[in-house]
Amino acid sequence: MMNNSIQYTVGIDVGGTFTDFYCAADGVAITTKTPTTHYDLSVGFMQGIRQLAEVHKLPFDAFLGQIVSLRYSTTVGTNVLIERNGPKLGLFTTAGFEDTIFIGRARSWADGLSLQQCRDQARIQKPEPLIEPEMVVGVRERLDYSGKVITPLQREEVLEKLQELVDKGAQGFVVSLLWSFINPQHEKMIRDIIEDEYPEDYLGSMPVILSSAISPKAGEYTRTMTAVVNSYIHGVMSDEINALANELRDHGYTRPLTLVHNTGGTKKASRTRAVLTHNAGPVAGLHGAATLGRLNDEHNIIFTDMGGTSFDIGLIEKGEIKTHEFIPVIDRWRTNIPAIEVKSIGAGGGSIAWINTLMDNAMEVGPQSAGAMPGPACYDQGGQDPTVTDADLLLGLYNPENYLGGEMLLDVDLAHDVISEKIAGPLGIDPLEAAWRIRRLVDARMGHEVYNEVSLKGHDPRNFILLACGGAGGAHACGYAPYIGTQRILVPGQSSVFGAFGASTMQIKEVWERSRAIRMYNWAEQKYLQDLAVFNSVVTSMKKSAIRDLKLEGYDENEIGFNLELEMRYGSQYKLTSVEAPALFLKNSEDVGTLCDSFTQRYSEIYSPEATFPSGGINVETFHLTASIIKPALSLQAADPAGPEPDSAALLCLRPVYWDPQQGFTDTPIYDYSLLRPGNRIRGPAIVEAAQTTYVVAHGWRFTLDNWGSAVIETATGPGDH
Amino acid sequence: MSKTSYGRDYEVVQRLRPEPVTDREQLAQGAVQDIDFDIFKHKMHMIALEGKETTMKLGASTAMRFGDVAFGIFTAQGDLAVCATGIYHHAVLGQIPLKYIVKHWADEASVGVREGDSFFYNDPFYGGVHNADMGLAIPVFHGDELICFVGAAVHTGEAGGTEPGGVITSARSKYDEGMLIPPIKIGENFRLKEDLLTMLGAMTRDERTMILDIKARLAAVRIAQRRIQEVVADKGVDFFIGALRKTLTVTGEAARKKIAELNDGVFRQPRFLDSLGTAPGLTKINLTVVKKGERVLLDFSNSSPMAMDRPINTYFQGLIGLTMVYFCGWLFHDLPANNGLLEAVDWKFPDNSLVNAKGDVSTSLAPLTQICFTQGMFLCGARMTYSHDPSRAVAAWFSGFAIPNFGGLNQKGEPIADLTPEINATGCGARYDQDGVDAAGAFFATMSDCSDIETTEEDRPFVYTFRNLFNNSYGHGKFRGGAGVGFGLMVHDTPMLVLGAMGGGTRFPTTLGLFGGNAVPPTFVQYVHNSNLNELMSEADSRLPNNLTAVYEAENPEQGDRHFNETNMTVRPFANGDTYYLGVGGGGGYGDAIEREPAAVIRDLRRGLVSHWAARNIYHVAYDGESLRLDSPATEALRMEVREERKKRGKPYDEFVEEWEQLSPPAELLTYYGSYPDPEAGLSDS
Repeated sequence: MMNNSIQYTVGIDVGGTFTDFYCAADGVAITTKTPTTHYDLSVGFMQGIRQLAEVHKLPFDAFLGQIVSLRYSTTVGTNVLIERNGPKLGLFTTAGFEDTIFIGRARSWADGLSLQQCRDQARIQKPEPLIEPEMVVGVRERLDYSGKVITPLQREEVLEKLQELVDKGAQGFVVSLLWSFINPQHEKMIRDIIEDEYPEDYLGSMPVILSSAISPKAGEYTRTMTAVVNSYIHGVMSDEINALANELRDHGYTRPLTLVHNTGGTKKASRTRAVLTHNAGPVAGLHGAATLGRLNDEHNIIFTDMGGTSFDIGLIEKGEIKTHEFIPVIDRWRTNIPAIEVKSIGAGGGSIAWINTLMDNAMEVGPQSAGAMPGPACYDQGGQDPTVTDADLLLGLYNPENYLGGEMLLDVDLAHDVISEKIAGPLGIDPLEAAWRIRRLVDARMGHEVYNEVSLKGHDPRNFILLACGGAGGAHACGYAPYIGTQRILVPGQSSVFGAFGASTMQIKEVWERSRAIRMYNWAEQKYLQDLAVFNSVVTSMKKSAIRDLKLEGYDENEIGFNLELEMRYGSQYKLTSVEAPALFLKNSEDVGTLCDSFTQRYSEIYSPEATFPSGGINVETFHLTASIIKPALSLQAADPAGPEPDSAALLCLRPVYWDPQQGFTDTPIYDYSLLRPGNRIRGPAIVEAAQTTYVVAHGWRFTLDNWGSAVIETATGPGDH
Repeated sequence: MSKTSYGRDYEVVQRLRPEPVTDREQLAQGAVQDIDFDIFKHKMHMIALEGKETTMKLGASTAMRFGDVAFGIFTAQGDLAVCATGIYHHAVLGQIPLKYIVKHWADEASVGVREGDSFFYNDPFYGGVHNADMGLAIPVFHGDELICFVGAAVHTGEAGGTEPGGVITSARSKYDEGMLIPPIKIGENFRLKEDLLTMLGAMTRDERTMILDIKARLAAVRIAQRRIQEVVADKGVDFFIGALRKTLTVTGEAARKKIAELNDGVFRQPRFLDSLGTAPGLTKINLTVVKKGERVLLDFSNSSPMAMDRPINTYFQGLIGLTMVYFCGWLFHDLPANNGLLEAVDWKFPDNSLVNAKGDVSTSLAPLTQICFTQGMFLCGARMTYSHDPSRAVAAWFSGFAIPNFGGLNQKGEPIADLTPEINATGCGARYDQDGVDAAGAFFATMSDCSDIETTEEDRPFVYTFRNLFNNSYGHGKFRGGAGVGFGLMVHDTPMLVLGAMGGGTRFPTTLGLFGGNAVPPTFVQYVHNSNLNELMSEADSRLPNNLTAVYEAENPEQGDRHFNETNMTVRPFANGDTYYLGVGGGGGYGDAIEREPAAVIRDLRRGLVSHWAARNIYHVAYDGESLRLDSPATEALRMEVREERKKRGKPYDEFVEEWEQLSPPAELLTYYGSYPDPEAGLSDS
């Protein structure tokens, strides 16, 4: 029966293979997937919406009319960078610095690569530039470190260089001048000249992006690349998103399409900067983790997502997602966007195991991956290398006839043969032991990476719970958790569409950043800052920008919440340490002292008291103001709890599983997830099979289904064990 | 009674290869299971990586912020087992101070080695390079047992010598170099000793940077210490000791296996240096690489003698350290980076040699001598590996430094003394199938970074007038070297500044080409006192140079007291508005320039990366000067002509040798060379 009073919230997350959909209404959710249509993402998008409408038994247009929120995590921008199909851009920069983006701080050949990938110095390469050298022009102008004009800009020269770029076929312009983040006067003059020459009503009108507008932060290479990447993906993204928005409108959707940002919020597509959509999917997943954490009263969470080719790691501290990337790299380009950090390493079900004959026949797993094509050998798609999925299958952890809900049949013999030939044979061990070693090694590697990521941020990973999602997260979490030291794992019921779930939980939020070096504690004079006006004027100006922007988004000033983080350092250190400001404005030197103390306290927690050096001078370098609109959080309906004993029908069978070489195969109970009830408990070893994922509950762990369909897997001696 | 000799320890510096396996290590490594060992290696790598990143993030000097940090985990005997870095020489050489500590301080009642201690060193006799390279290491204990060391080493901008910036071109002996601290304890019970920090700070021009760098190293090693102790708690101390040792053992075996795959042969590459620091002069580093079976021998016989009153000497251990840079990044890039690799290497250094410094001689410019040598290692390595794997045959990256060093007060009135970061923007050598990478980095610190100009200008009193790639800055060839970066500095807003430079290769190239490729052109400093550049900039004069090439063109309107200097330049006062120009070179060329694709030459012409002169006279390409349209048939004809001319110039080898042997550099340049042409000729073997 049709119910046209129901209001739906939909989250959409585009992945490499599938586009995921999460649709919630009145606390009840359904999910679906469609193959990602890389040639035109909107095709898969609309198909997914149709599938949701069918499940709800609503006509397509009627269903769209009842959707109150569409939050979309898109990879349009990423695809533009991969396919290199962005526009031909022209870059205006300060004369004498035309090669800045090609020099790329020298090490741009290594940006976006792991340390291991950088070891072979004989074969290094810089990526193909997004702007060709002939499309870069220098204009005579110069500011010094304080923003003072040393060389004034010449209008005639700008006109001449503009004509040169237009003649060469420029389809858009980036303007990035030295020290423009302190004084954008020259950048604005160039924009005005271009717009005077090619006003909007001319066919030749082209977009002009200023580095000082897109990223008013110190560091000309990263600021320029932020503007370049944004400009490069802007046009294609704008076209695709507008076309999608129009199609949605044509079919009855009346609200704005909102896009998920890598800064941890969402905004209307029409008010989104393209560069902020890159890699938003994992950030959405991180938000989903925070939401589930709140339901489970867990506020310190390590988020992990194990897919076919990559393993993502993120962090939630005290319920907050606030760790920004130290050096955000988009594709192969360093930028300075305030992106939430989600680290990705090359480990997943498709990671290839191999023998390093030079190193005493040491076994290695990855970083090469069989990917989705040809995929693991057991997919029977031509894969010739043993992968983690092959190992899992051979060990009996996966049901070859019920993988991905039976959508893909797996061939155990192929897995056996490839592991025998390429691993067990050279090592002189049994293929099952080889499979066990593959699994153990990849688990250790992922666990170590997680440990490192968390500890680099100054936390003890053992004080966090582990949230494991992605296609292989549930199958491996008990394997990598011990290397992190965590005793409690949460595997969401929405695991396989977790990015889409996360997107549907995100709030309107935007981040404003500005670099301004202010000595809070002056080393030379050994005293605190007295003149607070500069500090407060920066905050005032950022706050004004935020209010203006969110008002245009349709929100009232009193709905906006503000949070100020300051990036600070001792002396001339490289790394800035983030400190949450106690208040937006400084009132007196006591406030300055409190802020400096907060910095030293935070520094001490991360790097040890021995490393602090307050008398060496303390600077604020970057202001980071977050403005959010707090709306009621997505509600999930809790199911009624049942007893700890699963229904007997849920136990499908006993299947031999090879847990370790000492015990060999052990008959292991296999459960059907769909027949379990909240509160049901299962002691490991056991396996729970769901349509899109497999939960592997190892020896010493206990599985409990919570009221929201997530698996809580704890050590038998861990918290909550009775 | 103390047994301390108070002098330098010539025995401990010899111990570069892994120490003999102890009974405890032998027993323990035999019990390490394969899978546990594979997991252990990864965990140790992650710990080292965390340490490297932490050091870099917290450091304050230029090299620390934009350079590369050598972070290592060492066995209890002091051998480097695990490291995360691209600056491999510091990691490998970091073992000597630890072996010193074990030998001298572990049983010395007044010092001791205990939980919570921290040790500091910068004497290049132990660190191997020069005294601006400073290290900090701590012991890690399990109960009462010393199980390993953790250390971090990297260049700090200032070491208190007679010139700022850690490079003393005018040093006459080691006493001009400033701090020379052998490994000493600077902290106990997890606390640095404030009196010692104050002393170290007082010995330098910029005490804040000195202390921040020390604390950065310390914070990083303490984190690694905690991680290691967690591993020990989890896997047991026997496993840890055994697995750490096994890392060295399997690496040594792998290195020998890999060497054995190469053809046997003798590969010679004599190297020459053109600078004595403050004056020109010729010296020779005579490298012969003998590859036989599973070992390579580096023989430095017949190198120039020690320069008794010049800073260009190097300790032999520094050259072995630099050898490891080539091995870890190019030859053994697929093996762990630790001193197990040296199990495949032997060396022979003559006494009283420039490459085997002893006594009180200065080694302040040892880095220059060392990279001059490493360039020879690239060339020998390329010949040694080509037939086995041509992708290993890479022409040398720029090997001449060219670094401005400075000291004084910045625009905020704060003391500064450091280097600028452009040394990290040199060009990569050309390869057998492609050009080198433009502005790739520094071969000895490959993960380094040349910084943003805004970051440098924020607390250094300079306005960069340009910083771009420049033409002909590399070696030409069938594949050209990656281009280098030229830059101009105008002194700005400072009450006091001195500025100098360090580098070599002004009179002849330090970076040669490979297999017929050309060398990298010489570099030198130009500076202008009483320059009118500030006025010209305020008028936005359109003739102002945008790159280093344009500085030397007739149209350059800059006026003032113009000076040219070799790249080694003792610091001198600079006033606001004075200018300074320098460039870091590109990589060496590969193959004959007339085999280069003409279209690639035209592309470089359009890009401004090759001059018209070079296009016509080195590449012999015919094209229209205005449209740059290539004339392929004419190019082919030109190149045929060149080949014919070459044939005409050919002569029998003996005849060539006879003529060549008549030649000699001017006598005044040979003062420090030794006997010409063979420096050791006539000397006894002693």
